[in-house]
Amino acid sequence: MEITFAVLLWGVRIAFLVLLYLFLIRAFRTLQRSLAEERVTMAARSVGLAVLVVTLSHAGGPRVGERLPLRAVNSVGRDAGNDVVLNDDAASAKHAVVSFADGEWWLEDAGSTNGTLLNGTRVWERERVHYGDQVQVGRIALRLERVQ
Amino acid sequence: MMRSRPVARLHELQLLVWVAALSITGYLAVVAAASGRFAWLELVVPAVALAIFGLLHIFLVSIGFRGDQLLLPLAVGLTAIGFILVERLAPGLLLQQLSWLVIAAGAFCVTILIPRDLSALSRYKYTWALVGLLLLISPLLPVVGREINGARIWVGIRGIAQFEPWELVKIALVIFFAAYLEEHREMLSTPPRRIGPIPVPPLPYLLPIVGMWLVAMLVMVFEKDLGATLLFFGIFLAMLYLATGEPFYVVVGLLLLVGGGFVAYHAFNHVAARVDVWLAPFSSDLRFDTGYQLTQGLFSLANAGLFGAGLGNGMPERIPVVWSDFVFDAFTEEVGFVGALALLALYLVFVYRGMLIALRAPTTFLQLLAAGLSFIIAFQTLVIVGGNAKLIPLTGITLPFVAYGGSSLVTNFMLVGLLLRVSDITARVRR
Repeated sequence: MEITFAVLLWGVRIAFLVLLYLFLIRAFRTLQRSLAEERVTMAARSVGLAVLVVTLSHAGGPRVGERLPLRAVNSVGRDAGNDVVLNDDAASAKHAVVSFADGEWWLEDAGSTNGTLLNGTRVWERERVHYGDQVQVGRIALRLERVQ
Repeated sequence: MMRSRPVARLHELQLLVWVAALSITGYLAVVAAASGRFAWLELVVPAVALAIFGLLHIFLVSIGFRGDQLLLPLAVGLTAIGFILVERLAPGLLLQQLSWLVIAAGAFCVTILIPRDLSALSRYKYTWALVGLLLLISPLLPVVGREINGARIWVGIRGIAQFEPWELVKIALVIFFAAYLEEHREMLSTPPRRIGPIPVPPLPYLLPIVGMWLVAMLVMVFEKDLGATLLFFGIFLAMLYLATGEPFYVVVGLLLLVGGGFVAYHAFNHVAARVDVWLAPFSSDLRFDTGYQLTQGLFSLANAGLFGAGLGNGMPERIPVVWSDFVFDAFTEEVGFVGALALLALYLVFVYRGMLIALRAPTTFLQLLAAGLSFIIAFQTLVIVGGNAKLIPLTGITLPFVAYGGSSLVTNFMLVGLLLRVSDITARVRR
């Protein structure tokens, strides 16, 4: 009887330590999970669905190599109200629209003065854009890229 | 606060179940070790405490609270460990602690519900400063003030109830600092004049802060509470740095602290005594005198080893006033390095979570408020664990949630309530 009690008591003591650590691990996991969720939402917010990388620019325009995040629908143009603002004299105030639909990216000219080029060809109607394609607006060239 | 439909808080519930298991097991071990049998009836007290924790959870669910789900289980887990230690070290105080828990739970619910708009707190910042000052001075008043163990920091009526107003002052001051710094951070961080790298904000902007600090320092001298002074100053510097990002203020603050400490060491006996005990607790004239508590605590720590003596199997009761001043040593002696590490990790997660809440908060005031509140917990833990381990001079600060003490339990639950409120606002804004 005495021995059983002592053994049981030690069992309870060890169980306490184990439970303390299990609780701690649970707490850590909750913390880690919410951090991971946060990272995903932050990524979606700041990086967007895809990016346009500036490949050709000029003084006053965006820096070459700059990554412009894209949402589902993006207006592109000189106006500050656009989703992608391109500071370029040859770009129209509202120049083009880049959108994501049916799992694909699409490019559309928004009635610009100087036109929009996709891989060097002028865009007349809505055209499909693949990753790696070159989009030219005014004197600025952009390449569509995946978000890492 | 907006009322809305109930929402499930599954993570919180899950963690609370672990707290329940932890608390019952630990309590059982302590009771069994003390009485020599498994006294199931004694489990009523932790069961009542757990029921209160459960009610808090149900309360949050029923008002559709969207705030953080990790902080409450952590606070409650630490409180549960505190109950195990009170039963172990001072069973006579257990019912008193339980009734304080009821008050703390009430204070928590009130903090969650009032005020409806948390930002309203910042509008009455000078009221908070005044409330803080009055609370600080209250122990010095003739009828209600009490001096216990050489520190005049209590308010109460003999034989009925006593309260440490300092505990509430912490929260009032964090609210005041957050509101004040939000309003004037521009002027403090980028003042119009600079002498070299030194910012020189216009004097009127510094006056309320410096004045607040001076008055508090003076009051501390008269109330002889070292820990509170240290904590007060720590909060002040940390929040000033968070708001301005100006290292100069921290350097000046630390210099002031060192200077003040030097003067206090030579001018006041109670300060000198603390430092002397810290430097050489084993010297022949201190070992069984003022150094007795600390040296007994050190023996207790030294006996811990990797896994400790086992709950209820150590001799922490040989430390005087162990249930309020030396709970960390007592806990470590019985669960060892392994258990102490887990305890400190719980505080770490709590503070980390609090700082995350601060980072995500939508306004500067809420950011500073959450950061300041988390900092209180971090700093208190550091100062008391450091004091118990003879890393720094021992002060009368309590180990948050764990140490026996009504005022600190109530205040800490209000603190958790405020942190949860900030995270709730963030969740609603972000959705």
